[in-house]
Amino acid sequence: MGTVGEDKARNKRGLQGWLNPYHYNAERWAYMFQRVTGVAILLYVLGHLGDTSFFVGGPTGTGPSTSGWAFIGSIFENSFGHLILILVVLVLFFHGVNGIRLILTELGFIMKEPSAIEYPYRPKSLSTTQRSLIFIGIALAVVAAVWAFLVLFEGMG
Amino acid sequence: MKESRLMLIQYSTAVVAVVLVAIHLIMQGVIYPYSTAISFDNILSIYRNGYYAVFLEALLVVVLVHGFNGVRIILHEFRQTAPWSTWVDIGTVLAIAVSVAYGTRTVILAVFGVVSG
Repeated sequence: MGTVGEDKARNKRGLQGWLNPYHYNAERWAYMFQRVTGVAILLYVLGHLGDTSFFVGGPTGTGPSTSGWAFIGSIFENSFGHLILILVVLVLFFHGVNGIRLILTELGFIMKEPSAIEYPYRPKSLSTTQRSLIFIGIALAVVAAVWAFLVLFEGMG
Repeated sequence: MKESRLMLIQYSTAVVAVVLVAIHLIMQGVIYPYSTAISFDNILSIYRNGYYAVFLEALLVVVLVHGFNGVRIILHEFRQTAPWSTWVDIGTVLAIAVSVAYGTRTVILAVFGVVSG
């Protein structure tokens, strides 16, 4: 393993390279959150595979089971479980919209022509459209989370 | 498989997942009230509607391929040695296979299994 300076020079800083907030622009923050939210969503999906399997009685079940479904409902159908679902909706919408931005960027649809570097050294290829999509993603995520809150807590009052 | 093709799979599954997840969310909170959507009888009728069972299986495969391939990409960014790359790729395939198999088991048992109390 090299020193911190050597690792930095070789671009092998691992998690430090991701999470170091210095000199980040909006695109770099979006890059980091895309990965963090992606891993979080995958963990939720794996948990969701586990909890939905109780519809058929869990890992040892053999068919649709009302008691299995009631059991898993007694664990997750409460305010804490609903809070988790609201957070999932929040990160899901950000991940989805930001992912579409990344695909459009990768395909060159929302990139500007690169040009010579001039002061103040802003990358000219980064268009306003693609940056706007980052903030649209955040706004949609918040709206979706509010919608999820209304849907989930509608019957709990 | 070439990395360019794997990235194409990543983007394709992303686009399909956006559509399928949107339909799934609409089914859970727009078409029915949430309390109805998660009731045992409603879920059973959904599973036993052939189209929706196929939809759930497609959602399962697309989301898991996209998710585990995404983790694979992240792990390849961390380190680029040949053994690491090989084990990450093997682990990704195994993780997809195991999780898809477990989810498919739920779908098959929900569609064809005998209902019990």
